[in-house]
Amino acid sequence: MLQFDILIVGAGGAGLYAALETSKRKGLSVAVLSKVYPTRSHTGAAQGGINAALGNVAPDSPEKHAYDTVKGSDFLADQDAVELMCEMAPKIIREMEHMGLPFSRLKDGRIAQRPFGGASFPRTCYAADKTGHVMLQTLYEQCLKNGVKFLNEWFLLSIVHNGERVSGVVAMDLRSGEIHGIRAKAVILATGGHARVYWNRTSNALGNTGDGTAAVLRAGLPLKDMEFVQFHPTGLRRTGILVTEGARGEGGYLINNKGERFMKKYAPEKMELAPRDMVSRAIETEIMEGRGFRDDEGNEFVYLDLRHLGRKKILERLPQIRELAIDFEGVDPIEEPIPVRPTAHYSMGGIDADKLGRTPIKGLYAAGECACISVHGANRLGGNSLLDIVVFGKLSGEDAINYVSEIGFAPFDESEVKREEERIDSLFSSDGKEKLVDLRSELSDVMSYGAGIFREEKKMKEALEKVREIKERAKHVKVYDGERTFNTNLQQTLEFLNLVEIAETIVLPALERKESRGAHYRTDYPKRDDENFLKHSVVERGEDGELRLSWKPVVITKYQPEERKY
Amino acid sequence: METAVLQVFRYDPEKDQAPYYKEYEVPVEGTLLNALLYIKDNLDPTLAFRAFCRSEVCGSCSMKVNGKTKLACKTPMKELVETWKGKPLRIEPLNHMKVIKDLVVDIDKPIEKMKTLIPWLVPDPRVVPTDPMHESIIYPEEMEAYKDQIHCMLCFSCYSACEAVADNERYRGPFAFSKAYRFQVDRRDIETAKEKRIRYAISGGLWSCVQCQKCLYVCPKGVKPAEDIQNLRGQAVKKGFTDKPGAKKLKHFVDWIYATGQINRLYLPEEVYGNKEAREKLTKAYTEMGVEVWEVPKPTKGLMKFRDIYLEILSKEDKALDLDYSHVRKIDKMVSDIFKADICTIVDKAHEEGRSSRGLISKLKGLLGGQ
Ligand SMILES: Cc1cc2nc3c(=O)[nH]c(=O)nc-3n(C[C@H](O)[C@H](O)[C@H](O)COP(=O)(O)OP(=O)(O)OC[C@H]3O[C@@H](n4cnc5c(N)ncnc54)[C@H](O)[C@@H]3O)c2cc1C
Ligand code: SF4
Ligand code: SF4
Ligand code: FES
Repeated sequence: MLQFDILIVGAGGAGLYAALETSKRKGLSVAVLSKVYPTRSHTGAAQGGINAALGNVAPDSPEKHAYDTVKGSDFLADQDAVELMCEMAPKIIREMEHMGLPFSRLKDGRIAQRPFGGASFPRTCYAADKTGHVMLQTLYEQCLKNGVKFLNEWFLLSIVHNGERVSGVVAMDLRSGEIHGIRAKAVILATGGHARVYWNRTSNALGNTGDGTAAVLRAGLPLKDMEFVQFHPTGLRRTGILVTEGARGEGGYLINNKGERFMKKYAPEKMELAPRDMVSRAIETEIMEGRGFRDDEGNEFVYLDLRHLGRKKILERLPQIRELAIDFEGVDPIEEPIPVRPTAHYSMGGIDADKLGRTPIKGLYAAGECACISVHGANRLGGNSLLDIVVFGKLSGEDAINYVSEIGFAPFDESEVKREEERIDSLFSSDGKEKLVDLRSELSDVMSYGAGIFREEKKMKEALEKVREIKERAKHVKVYDGERTFNTNLQQTLEFLNLVEIAETIVLPALERKESRGAHYRTDYPKRDDENFLKHSVVERGEDGELRLSWKPVVITKYQPEERKY
Repeated sequence: METAVLQVFRYDPEKDQAPYYKEYEVPVEGTLLNALLYIKDNLDPTLAFRAFCRSEVCGSCSMKVNGKTKLACKTPMKELVETWKGKPLRIEPLNHMKVIKDLVVDIDKPIEKMKTLIPWLVPDPRVVPTDPMHESIIYPEEMEAYKDQIHCMLCFSCYSACEAVADNERYRGPFAFSKAYRFQVDRRDIETAKEKRIRYAISGGLWSCVQCQKCLYVCPKGVKPAEDIQNLRGQAVKKGFTDKPGAKKLKHFVDWIYATGQINRLYLPEEVYGNKEAREKLTKAYTEMGVEVWEVPKPTKGLMKFRDIYLEILSKEDKALDLDYSHVRKIDKMVSDIFKADICTIVDKAHEEGRSSRGLISKLKGLLGGQ
């Protein structure tokens, strides 16, 4: 059986940072397991930037950064974790700069910073509009330098633990199709987000299907704040592909069919740079009230206008956005406004972890978008996720090193491997009465309908019922590719099954959270209710297979909840 | 709805004796990736291909369409149909890598090759602070030097298209040299690492590149490996790695082109490989075949102006020192000896005869990497 002191699952920013941290300690055996080659992880798609109170452009401080983050989170973030993250931010930015990360620079040679939504100062460090790409490449380079071992194109199936300690994972080598138990003293999950639940309209990669999160749920462990899903205001009209907030950071306008910058009605001070939940609701409201645009294909949208920024600025700071707009919308932002509409983007909720990434099972960590530490609460600020992933990737790596150096391997129950083999075998022999594509699309539609930007009791109840129905019907989905080698048909089926499990964990707490907070907006309870709901929701699956919901207090240090105005 | 036929390469080593092509009718809508997803969702779930971001950033989905390397998510179906005028579109996996299944190839080897070129920063403590309280100071202008290279997303399109990879198993691949070059021009990287990279690049086939420019044309991210390779060669020469035939070849090219506007095939074997008989043998062989040979090409109209431009280009590239004037003077002398006049007079005469030197400059630009 393969065996490592530390196994990191996921090779995005969070996984690679954890790997780098652990690779500094000699004598440890560490491996990174990932279903895609590291540089293809979705971190590479991040465009706009990463926040840190460097104060290079305007005076700033980690405290102000923390305050903006807490306020942006609609006071649901755990403030001790936020403070830790913001305090570490400048150092970790410089650490990456020292690794060669090509941040864009000011004239005087220091790291440049741009304004981003919900921030009081230009605080977002960036590399044009390819921040995630260069970050991922840089971290990968450094991992190669340090000789990190990679298991590329391996797929996590399940987590093995004994109720107290983690003993490893079960995973499939996609190339051979073989299923392996992998024993590890510590496992760090860094498997990314699950916005693909909203399959038909999302900014996420095809594989952002919450595999790690679903595995944790199956392992009987808690997920936190799952009802909070961020819809990014500006996805391209047809595909939902992202146009970075950096586009508004650089001065882009949002325009309705009356030619108005309609954000003045919703956030008179911050305008286009209000937090994402507000801007997304504003756009949807404009469309609902007939002030949007509609094309021949029936797509509805508003315009993101960058023309006044001028050719030079667009080419210099937003070259990729221009390319995507041209390729996917046939629109050159230098000459025409870009048609946009909100798109499912980010999972605030995830695996319940503390500020060192620890879960209730010893040796099992979660970091990055799959985790809910929580630093984003009910709404994440742009530029805070790239920060979150590296900070908590690093911290969980550090803590795992300490943990494994004092402890041996926990016994590994091999029947877990057998169980996964059987689960997979059954997919080949199912009756095929249901089609994966149809179910996936139905799931997406019902989630947008019931657990989208605007929510209400009746619709959520329908959605919950429908999701459960889809879960039942999903038992009839069949894998048609009978060979083991690189079976992408099997992979897409496993991913879809994970999405179905996740969907239920989103709707259930959404239904019970009878208030509006951040990205969770209920038309039947439009106000925030701190008295009853200033708390995290926790979902677990009981022995009987049913989901159980409980609540957990929010950590408040110095920022008392106040009304959120921009 | 308008449709097109894709002939997709299929091969499952587990069960197929040999590869075959399967036809699928797909809507002409969105990108080639959309078409493949359409097949997988509606026609044939067994088809294997890689795709992830679907927005041109992850580098998963490069493949060949009628022999041309394409990034599937960046290639509109409409454009394909228009280009190929309704002919079937043959979709195949990338070259030079083993097929794992259908359109999925084994990319481990090019990654391993890249690793030999130190494609990471080795910080120079004089520039990069060792504590996390300070930044290195890097001016925006400096970053121009590697602004394209950092966009490489390891899609291996260039590797698939490369002539040198086809010829030479050891050849590291276009992208690998670009990744290496990116650090050669980063001030934060230490000199000793730069020195090593050059050495490893040379043993990794730096001089095998034939400058066919294919890598540059297929790269979906605007990286220009062919240029980076020329620049690495320049660095190699400057660092004194001139004993290699490749370095000598470059010198031969630079000097002869400056002097006469052309390389000289007759002298090449002697100057590069030290083969003294080659010139005579070649001359003899050509003459016997009835081909007219000139020991040195006759200078053409505009040569002097051309020399100025050439020098200017070299200086801009910081490569003026690559020119060996004593060698150039020798060539000049050969010219005057053969044509019985000094070079300026010959050029003036050529001018009167109205012969043109157009074409030279573009050839030269190609040689220097399109500057
Ligand atoms: C288009 C876009 C733009 C964004 N822009 C910004 C921005 O400008 N600033 C910002 O702060 N944030 C941004 N974000 C958010 C941010 O990019 C992500 O939250 C962050 O990159 C997530 O990093 P991660 O390391 O947690 O996960 P990912 O980068 O998603 O990596 C997940 C890893 O887990 C692996 N994995 C998943 N499932 C399995 C499995 N079953 N088996 C094995 N391995 C598995 C994958 O292979 C991958 O390596 C953006 C997000 C998107 C979608
Ligand atoms: S120019 Fe050189 S590196 Fe580029 S494809 Fe041709 S031979 Fe390969
Ligand atoms: S240089 Fe271009 S073509 Fe080659 S791997 Fe990089 S991105 Fe792909
Ligand atoms: S799917 Fe990522 S580049 Fe095409």
